[in-house]
Amino acid sequence: MIKTEHLTFHYKQKEHTFQFPDINLSAEENLLILGKSGIGKTTLLHLLAGLLRPVEGNVTINDVDISSLSESKLDAFRGQHIGLVFQKNHAVQSLTVLENLQARLFFSKKKIVTTTIDALLDELGLLAYKKRKVNALSEGQLQRLGIALAVIHNPKVILADEPTSSLDDENCDIVINLLKRQATQTGANLIVITHDHRIKSSFSNTIAL
Amino acid sequence: MTLWKISIQNIKTKPLYTLLSVFILGLSIALLLGIQQLKTSFKYQMENNLGDIDMVVGAKGSPLQLVLSSVLHLDNPTGNISYKEAKRLSRNPLVKRAVPISYGDNYKGYRIVGASEEFPKIYNAEIATGRTVEKSMEVVLGHTVAEKSKLSVGDTFKSSHGFIDNDIDVHDDELTVVGIFKPTQKVIDRLIFTNLESIWDVHDHDHEDHGESEDAHDHSEDEHSDEEHDHDHSDEEHAQDHAKDKHSHDHDEDKHPHDHSEDEHSDEEHAHEDDEEKEITSLLVTFRNPTGLLMIPRRINEETNMQAALPKYELDKLYEYTGVGFKTISLIGYIILVISSIIIFISLYKMVKERAFDLALLRVYGAKNLQLIKIIAYEGFMIVFLAFLVGIALSKTGLYFMVNSVESGNSQKILQSIAFHEFFQIGILVFGMIIVAILLAIYPITKMNISTILSNEK
Repeated sequence: MIKTEHLTFHYKQKEHTFQFPDINLSAEENLLILGKSGIGKTTLLHLLAGLLRPVEGNVTINDVDISSLSESKLDAFRGQHIGLVFQKNHAVQSLTVLENLQARLFFSKKKIVTTTIDALLDELGLLAYKKRKVNALSEGQLQRLGIALAVIHNPKVILADEPTSSLDDENCDIVINLLKRQATQTGANLIVITHDHRIKSSFSNTIAL
Repeated sequence: MTLWKISIQNIKTKPLYTLLSVFILGLSIALLLGIQQLKTSFKYQMENNLGDIDMVVGAKGSPLQLVLSSVLHLDNPTGNISYKEAKRLSRNPLVKRAVPISYGDNYKGYRIVGASEEFPKIYNAEIATGRTVEKSMEVVLGHTVAEKSKLSVGDTFKSSHGFIDNDIDVHDDELTVVGIFKPTQKVIDRLIFTNLESIWDVHDHDHEDHGESEDAHDHSEDEHSDEEHDHDHSDEEHAQDHAKDKHSHDHDEDKHPHDHSEDEHSDEEHAHEDDEEKEITSLLVTFRNPTGLLMIPRRINEETNMQAALPKYELDKLYEYTGVGFKTISLIGYIILVISSIIIFISLYKMVKERAFDLALLRVYGAKNLQLIKIIAYEGFMIVFLAFLVGIALSKTGLYFMVNSVESGNSQKILQSIAFHEFFQIGILVFGMIIVAILLAIYPITKMNISTILSNEK
């Protein structure tokens, strides 16, 4: 469950103010947010993830108003309940695939269960690369690792920022399907923010910025 | 998964930088520790050899030379003094103990020191095997001498003139080993101890061999010089012989004031009828209390033709000379420490800047700022720890090879281990520098804007 009201953000340096439409998703509902670059897509995603604080309005996830949380509580909340998928740089370079997942669970204070990690890696076709350093993975493998890192801790909300823009059509479909399946399996809301119109048909619920 | 593990993985991704940091910091630690240990050892070695000697009385010349030659047995003596005068000084009530010593010969480079039976007491040297010297031409070997020369109790050997092992100027008289001292880690380990009579006898016999009677000291100086030239003597030995001869002349020509009445009344003096003609190299004096130290040295230097030198004072002066070298090396150590701190700062700062996205990712995973700071700090601590291991190993091996080359087979333990508080001081200094480097490097983390870093990923 995720809900926003009157979200407004202001960049001091750029003297630019963004105002975002309200979002109201019930459990297991997905949302595609489409928009051109520069329109504030990433800003909205960061507001939803609690990486930025809105100037006005609020974000409520599972009945918690995250805009009112203290910095350290927000860190903890983000670690436990939010999963983020990025376009690139999905994992910590100095760690292996397994270590990244362990670190993900460690920092969100979740129990590290090897069988769960192995099952997820197997599902994403990464089990063979478990001991590999992140920089030794291919683009597609990295993208899948990014998804694994976004869902391993059973978050309430999965936020994906341009997850498909650097992928070809085939991989684009695979990634979107993976994201949707993982969201369904963990019972999380999936919000994808993109300018990539290829994935429009995969979502019934769409907002244009 | 722990923060430590992440730090270790970070270090592993930049092995060259880490190696450089560890090596250069280790080098500075090695220099600082090494120089401290060398300083401690040097001072200990010197002061240990002083025993409780407060003053050395010898012929006029350089006081430092007198101390080096008569106390540390490193340099050549300044000349000789009258045994009679030395004895008179010994009777001063402020004097607790006065040990006359005389030397000028060696066996295989080890000095033969003739002295009163109190000489070993200065160094608390005890007999390990055999017995102490009882009559002329008997010797007790220092521990190192016995070990290196392979001589044992009952063996005999011939001494040679001077302090350098040679086959040319060998005395005819055989010395007999009657005992060996226990190891003391002091200078006596490297000495051959005998009584004063042995030294006198060896040199008197030599004179006889040259066709001169014992009391025929009235030969001209020139004659003697020619003789010495034939033997290819070193200059120092000349000086010594000259001094001795000159002194003898003084006696014979009665230029020197003698207190005959005192001689006649002394039992000791009667035992050796020719004591007034005997000479010794120096007198090692220990006072009953500090008053002696204040009064007697000045009186000797002003009123007699002998000189009094204070070993502690002379050695302090020596430290000042050598201190410049120690300070220079310490300074180099400090400079390298600063450079290594800068390198570690750069390494950590680079990590913070270049891996900003990784650190931001960890924040997304739920890490707190403090946890990120710890990851960086642990990296620094691990480098310091490794550098300490490298530093200690480097200083130990460095000093080992250095001491071995200087000692040339001398088994005397020169190296003293460094005092804990000095080790602690160096540790605190190094740690402090690295803490500063870490603090400077992690500063950007506190100002980190995750949103901006994540937005700029492309």
